[in-house]
Amino acid sequence: MSHVVELPIVPPPNPAGWTPPASSGKSVAPLVERRLIPAGPAYLAHVKRAVHQLTFEEHDKHAEEERKRFETLNGVNGNGEDDLGIGDEPETEDLLSLDPKEWKKQDHYAVLGLSHLRYKANDEQIKVAHRKKVLKHHPDKKAGVAGDSNDDAFFKCIQKAMDVLSNPEKRRQFDSVDPHFEELEQEVPTEKEVKSHKNPDAYFFEMFTPIFEREARFSRSQPVPMLGAVDASKEEVEGFYHFWYNFDSWRSFEYHDKEVNEGSDSRDDKRYTEKKNKSERARRKKEDTARVRQLVDLTLGLDPRIKRIKQEEKATREAKKKGKAGGAQNGLTQKQKEEEEKKRAEEEAKKKEEEEKAARAEAKKAKTAAANAAKKARRAARTVEDDAAA
Amino acid sequence: MAATLANGSADAPIEVSAIPTVVGINFGNSYASIAVLNKEGNADCIANEDGERQIACAIAFQGEEMYIGNQAKHQLVKNSQNTIIGFRNLLGKKFSEIAVDKPTTSALVIQHPDIPDTPAYKVQILQPAPTPLPVSKVTSAAVTPAASNVATPRSEPISTTRILTVSEVTSVFLRSLVQSAEDFLGRKVQGAVITVPTWFGDEQKKALGDAASDAGVTVLQLLEEAGAAVVTTTLAPRSENDSLPEDRTQLLVDLGASGLELSLLSVRQGLAHSLATLSDHSVGGDAIDDRLIKFFAKEFTKKTKTPLTVAPATEPQDKRAEARLRLAVEHTKRTLSASTGAATCSVESLKDGLDFTGAINRLRFDMEMRPIYDGVYKKVQELVEGAGLDLYDVDEIVYVGGSASLPGLDEALAAGFHENVVTPFTAGTVVGGGVGDPTTILARGAALQAKLLATLGEGSEEEREVKAAFAPSSRWQEAKATTKTIGLIFPEENAESALGGQWIPVVLRETALPCRRTVRFDVDLGESDGDKKVGFEVWEIKEGVKFTKEAPPKFEGDDEDAEEDEEEEEIETKEKTLEKESLLTSLVLDAKKAQKAGGGRSKTKLEVQFMIGESGELSITAFEAPDGEKVTASVATSL
Repeated sequence: MSHVVELPIVPPPNPAGWTPPASSGKSVAPLVERRLIPAGPAYLAHVKRAVHQLTFEEHDKHAEEERKRFETLNGVNGNGEDDLGIGDEPETEDLLSLDPKEWKKQDHYAVLGLSHLRYKANDEQIKVAHRKKVLKHHPDKKAGVAGDSNDDAFFKCIQKAMDVLSNPEKRRQFDSVDPHFEELEQEVPTEKEVKSHKNPDAYFFEMFTPIFEREARFSRSQPVPMLGAVDASKEEVEGFYHFWYNFDSWRSFEYHDKEVNEGSDSRDDKRYTEKKNKSERARRKKEDTARVRQLVDLTLGLDPRIKRIKQEEKATREAKKKGKAGGAQNGLTQKQKEEEEKKRAEEEAKKKEEEEKAARAEAKKAKTAAANAAKKARRAARTVEDDAAA
Repeated sequence: MAATLANGSADAPIEVSAIPTVVGINFGNSYASIAVLNKEGNADCIANEDGERQIACAIAFQGEEMYIGNQAKHQLVKNSQNTIIGFRNLLGKKFSEIAVDKPTTSALVIQHPDIPDTPAYKVQILQPAPTPLPVSKVTSAAVTPAASNVATPRSEPISTTRILTVSEVTSVFLRSLVQSAEDFLGRKVQGAVITVPTWFGDEQKKALGDAASDAGVTVLQLLEEAGAAVVTTTLAPRSENDSLPEDRTQLLVDLGASGLELSLLSVRQGLAHSLATLSDHSVGGDAIDDRLIKFFAKEFTKKTKTPLTVAPATEPQDKRAEARLRLAVEHTKRTLSASTGAATCSVESLKDGLDFTGAINRLRFDMEMRPIYDGVYKKVQELVEGAGLDLYDVDEIVYVGGSASLPGLDEALAAGFHENVVTPFTAGTVVGGGVGDPTTILARGAALQAKLLATLGEGSEEEREVKAAFAPSSRWQEAKATTKTIGLIFPEENAESALGGQWIPVVLRETALPCRRTVRFDVDLGESDGDKKVGFEVWEIKEGVKFTKEAPPKFEGDDEDAEEDEEEEEIETKEKTLEKESLLTSLVLDAKKAQKAGGGRSKTKLEVQFMIGESGELSITAFEAPDGEKVTASVATSL
């Protein structure tokens, strides 16, 4: 780079009567021969200019290119340590004042500074992120800093987060109920919202594409068909709905389990809690399945492609009718008709099946409710008995 | 399962080591040091396995063992005839060229018995006896009795003499240095830059190069010591020596153990050439040692009533005492350089079984060393005058060598220079591994140079040519330099200075060509509104130094001190002067981007670029920063 020397000198304005003197015609005083010391980058630059016969500007350009080449060669972060794209997330006041006792409620990904990766973070990244946080928040580092040097609450939170995320089973449980996504789950647009939008089709895809991308992570079978675009083919659309109506989710709700009271050694107590947890898990699971189904129902109802496909079918049917009216290609029409019939039958069967399924779910719900009620009654009776005994 | 999900896709980093494993070796006559590149790409002087950053250039043979470095130096006391020191200066020299009259306390330099006119060292060593031949099974079974289970006792080693040439000694020593560096780095050293003194001729350089390749060291360059110092000082982070301009005149004071070497360098944006050099082997660290030893010997005699004559010592007992003292004062000197308090020197059983403990403080030490400081000062003056300059023209003093770390030397020298002169002591970079640490400066410079050379490619003809430019006596090292300072004069009414205006130097004298300099500054445009013009003249300037003598100011009413006043000399003051030499050209441009500054005056930022070609053709470009209209002028060369 051209090196510019900033001078603190401020020359005065030209005198009123000053005119630039004509050039004297003299040239620079005679030069002397010197022997340069072959050392340092300046000599290298000098030699490069001389050997390659470059002007200063050309050499500047070369040097700049060279520098860039070196930068790319050495990677973006020249310190040689790769943080696997974890980066540095700002730590909010709320995050730092987390209570380790309430660890179930904390967002483990946010604690480790991985909230941009979440379930996508791999084990290596979690490890690096944990190391980073520990280096920053270890109580030993804070000793001597003004304030309460025993304040290792956040460090405990970090350890808890690492505890959860480094264990695949625990991590799966937490991923199932990741508070970040649970919040997003509430933000499904309603039918009315989509329909009242000025461009319902575009809005539909804008809103629902990310929802399905999010939900896809729970699928046991991968890859998951995505919503796709407006001009998706009939097969694609059908494939999508078929997959999602039979969505097989690994999501589970053990994370919300109530802790078995460690203090009591009552086996009954323990069993009771376990039982309760189990039913609660099942309830939540059912709710989640229902939620996904509702979501797919909603999508199906709003999907502009369904309308298009129906119209297309109708058009072909009409075209066939017309062809039939023309008396041509009779056999073919017959065949088509048969096909249609078959399809209709299939659809009906499917519908029936769905209805049945829903009915079965309903029935199951009722049954559980009844069971719960019975249990309640039994318990009430027992308490009464106990009271009486007392 | 979460684990089966398509998780993060960050790739594992590919390990590209940006730092080549090269070392810089400062190979002095008495001490050597090694520097390697650290993680940040800066050079660090490292310690060898004995924890010494200053590794004594000594090799001692005792029995079957060979000692290298500071361990060998201690052998000078009891095993002096088998201890080799001071071998670097003999490299590439013929035996007939070496003055052998100097009394030595180490192994004598002798004529090599086989190779004509070659200096060599003869040392007594013990050679391990050859292992007994393995007994053949066929014959032994019948003739000899059954072999005992006891291990065969090792035969006594045989005493023998070994003749070592200077080059062999150097190879052994360099190998041990590189080994230390490899142990430190944990990797093989790919190349090294070794420093050589300025006075080394082609013969010496060749001999050193050969010795290095014998030792298995790839020499990237044999770098002049001055060059290493320039690399270190110019590549230093700018924040530390901000007061220093990029174009400066540097005085290099290398006060090693065996001699004084002075270089006056013109450093222009990192490109340096030597204006004058001077080497003198009569003053040096050894002379300092001699004086210190004499001082302590006198004290010893005073305390114990035991006569002790040293430097030079004649009796064998005195010689041994001298060697002991010499080792001990090394420590004393370092303590003195490091702290302001008194430093002790203690030797057990110095002579006749008598212990000695003495102390010297810095004031006393500086008093003792005054003649040496004065000698250095005189040489500096001689050098600068020889280059046609004045002490006031020196912008920076750089110290090299252990003896130059003495703060007293800096104080003694600085008195003659301009008050703004920057020395490592005023900049505070001597201690704590700073830039100006005289003991490590050369090794660090050599390492940085090695880093530079290691990155050079060898793909094309031109790249090889560039690489060859670093070899000694390459034609690319020839360059022309300006003789007069060229700059701008902004004419001014009623100017105070002799130049009739504000002077801005742009291209200093002794700037190697071709060169380019750009300056940027604010110009005052006055209070008037309307069209504004900026004009300046381009002049060559003659610089000089004016001496003025004036009587010291007399205070009235101190008649009682009148006698003393008479003895006072006239105070001599020096001042830098500038004189117009020749007008080259002038330039005027319209100021369109003037901005009102405080006080109703308007200002504009002007950028002026000077470009001087290889043969002296000058072109000047001026424009208003950042992107005003460019106005150019040029001056043809007279050649």
